[in-house]
Amino acid sequence: MEVEIVKGLKFHKKQDVAIVGAGMTTFKRRLLETGKELSYFAVKQALEEAGLDIKDIEMVVMGSAPDAFDGTALKGEYLLDGAGGSDRPYLRVFVGGGTGVFAPIAGYWHVASGLADVCLVVCEEKMSCCHPHPQSAFKYIWDPILDRPLKPNLIWIFALEMRRYMHVNNIRHEDIALVSVKNKANALDHPCAQVAEKITVEDVLNSEPMALPVRRLDVSPPSDGAAALIMVAPHIARQLTDEPVWVTGVGWALDTTHWTNRDLYFPRYVAEAAKMAYRMAHITDPRKQIDVAEPYDPFDYKELHHMEGLGLAKKGEAPILTREGVTARDGDLPVCPSGGLLGVGNPISAGMGVKACEIYWQLAYRAGKRQVAKEVTTGVCQAWGDLMQVGTVMVMSNKR
Amino acid sequence: MIEKIVDPEKMRHFPPKGGKIELYWVYTSGRAGEEFFRKLREGKFIAAKCKKCGHRYFPPRIYCEFDFSETEFYEITGEGCVEAFTVATLDLNEEPMEEVIAMIKLDNTDGRIIHVIKDAKEVCIGMKVKPVLRRPEEMKGNISDIAYYKPV
Amino acid sequence: MAVGRKKISCPPYAEGTALSERDISERRVTFFEDHPNLVYSWTAGQAMSRFLNELKNGKLIATKCEKCGRIIFPPRIYCELCYKPIDGWVYVKDTGTVQTFSISYIDPDARPLEKPVIVAVIAVDGASPNMGIMHILGEVEPEKVYIGMRVKAVWKPENEREGAITDIKYWKPLEG
Repeated sequence: MEVEIVKGLKFHKKQDVAIVGAGMTTFKRRLLETGKELSYFAVKQALEEAGLDIKDIEMVVMGSAPDAFDGTALKGEYLLDGAGGSDRPYLRVFVGGGTGVFAPIAGYWHVASGLADVCLVVCEEKMSCCHPHPQSAFKYIWDPILDRPLKPNLIWIFALEMRRYMHVNNIRHEDIALVSVKNKANALDHPCAQVAEKITVEDVLNSEPMALPVRRLDVSPPSDGAAALIMVAPHIARQLTDEPVWVTGVGWALDTTHWTNRDLYFPRYVAEAAKMAYRMAHITDPRKQIDVAEPYDPFDYKELHHMEGLGLAKKGEAPILTREGVTARDGDLPVCPSGGLLGVGNPISAGMGVKACEIYWQLAYRAGKRQVAKEVTTGVCQAWGDLMQVGTVMVMSNKR
Repeated sequence: MIEKIVDPEKMRHFPPKGGKIELYWVYTSGRAGEEFFRKLREGKFIAAKCKKCGHRYFPPRIYCEFDFSETEFYEITGEGCVEAFTVATLDLNEEPMEEVIAMIKLDNTDGRIIHVIKDAKEVCIGMKVKPVLRRPEEMKGNISDIAYYKPV
Repeated sequence: MAVGRKKISCPPYAEGTALSERDISERRVTFFEDHPNLVYSWTAGQAMSRFLNELKNGKLIATKCEKCGRIIFPPRIYCELCYKPIDGWVYVKDTGTVQTFSISYIDPDARPLEKPVIVAVIAVDGASPNMGIMHILGEVEPEKVYIGMRVKAVWKPENEREGAITDIKYWKPLEG
């Protein structure tokens, strides 16, 4: 039994954790299938890639964001039979948008603790059920006394954060728009993409204003979709494949709901979570030791914001890296090679399909047209959510 | 420690008259549900049978939850027998009502349906019942397309 | 243990059946529509009750923690950094500085607005640095707003105040 000291706490890890299979569905604005059916499709794909049967799964973790989207209270229990949870230990986790990487972290706990040797992680989201618009469900995330009487829209927070980030670091909107151009072009190679297209910086700057400085092409769309991945113990991984991808570090942290009391230009919740994950993974210089990254990009400026939080760029340096092509697929530090949420779609928790699952496929050299040009050993994926509160980070490697 | 407010007149509720949750939801029926309601419009009931273990699902599904293999649809009569029932005397808003709600095991399936029983002098467990459908032009595409169950 | 890992295309994905908005509005597929009747009422709690009562009087109030020395606004009965109850109440001014702002063209249901709304985070004078609240700016052109601008609250007349954050109609630029 390994005993590691991480962040002042003793960390007992019974066994290492490997990922051996993943799957997803197409992301679209509206899908006919129910949440159960979508989960079934994603899990079936993951089982096929791993070469396992549903009977081999010991425990299931489901990640799904607010019940208000599907309109089903007790959503985790509702989705259970489609997610393979019948007659098995089953857990639903939810940290807003961070669920995409938090669900695999919860799956990691199941296997690393030795409680399970095979754990299935499923994420599903059906945002199209919510009317008049999926954004309406976000009306109830705000403080009822201080914020709601002003009739805010969730995009206001992002616009306020983007303005602060641009002001403190002296960045122009043109540099931020390059991220949207890059990701939407990357997504043309992703078969599940909803909004992949070739656009220019002028298209972004001239698109419909939503809450300035945020414009329509700066934002990812609401989507329906599901994704799944399978985590196993080392002795099972050896039977299934010669090249499993190992989870070497996990971290998560939250900040206060009083978001007006924070200086928004730097995501310290992401930095805290990354610190924990990097210590577990023995990474001291992220910029040099990480080969490929999938930070959470529901907005284009968010990719830059999170790159700085993850330590992949110094404060204010991330737009320079984008402008110089360092973050392109053939660059020195490819970021969002899948097309991210801006290109493929944003079904909140099922974004796992383009975050955790994508890093897995990149490190296993199975990403096809989206495979990055350089040799890859270590990758990091990250998600973020709530009222700008949670950072969840997972580091993976194909060398043990 | 600071002084606490103890006078209930000074403790506030917000908003004073209550804030209404202004959302509504549209639930699509899914692939299996779509097929079920289409057949119901033609007056037929369908169930689903797992290709691997033979479990007969009602309401029909496109997957078997136990061995995750595909299912195939087949026709059933829609008749069944009562496994349990209750007499509901209060509705959602606690207004008085009187309705017999029963759990009916459908013939030739391993599944049950919850529905209302009407036109019955008395209801007992094991009683055989059959469905009464709405007219096709009145059907909306949800479970109320079956109007009620009545004794055979 | 089922073995037999196949080399399948990547990513392994399944096609869902896409629907358009007209498929729903013209009922080309079956669905069920539910309009819930949910009404909520939230207790304001100790700190917010006092805050709302003071708003009715036309004043802003904050709390202070002796240990870390912060004046905390919006007020709460605990200091979340020292994790202890706060030590007293302090009135703060109704002027402040704009920390960040945005010009919004959409309403909470994502429908377009005719006239844009200027929303800002305003750090209030008298409280510790960065202690801000979100509010609307008014009596100013969107192009003239900048980070660091000094603003003052414009209150509703006393008989119209009801003890809510909207007792401040908006914040306007401070001259001079």
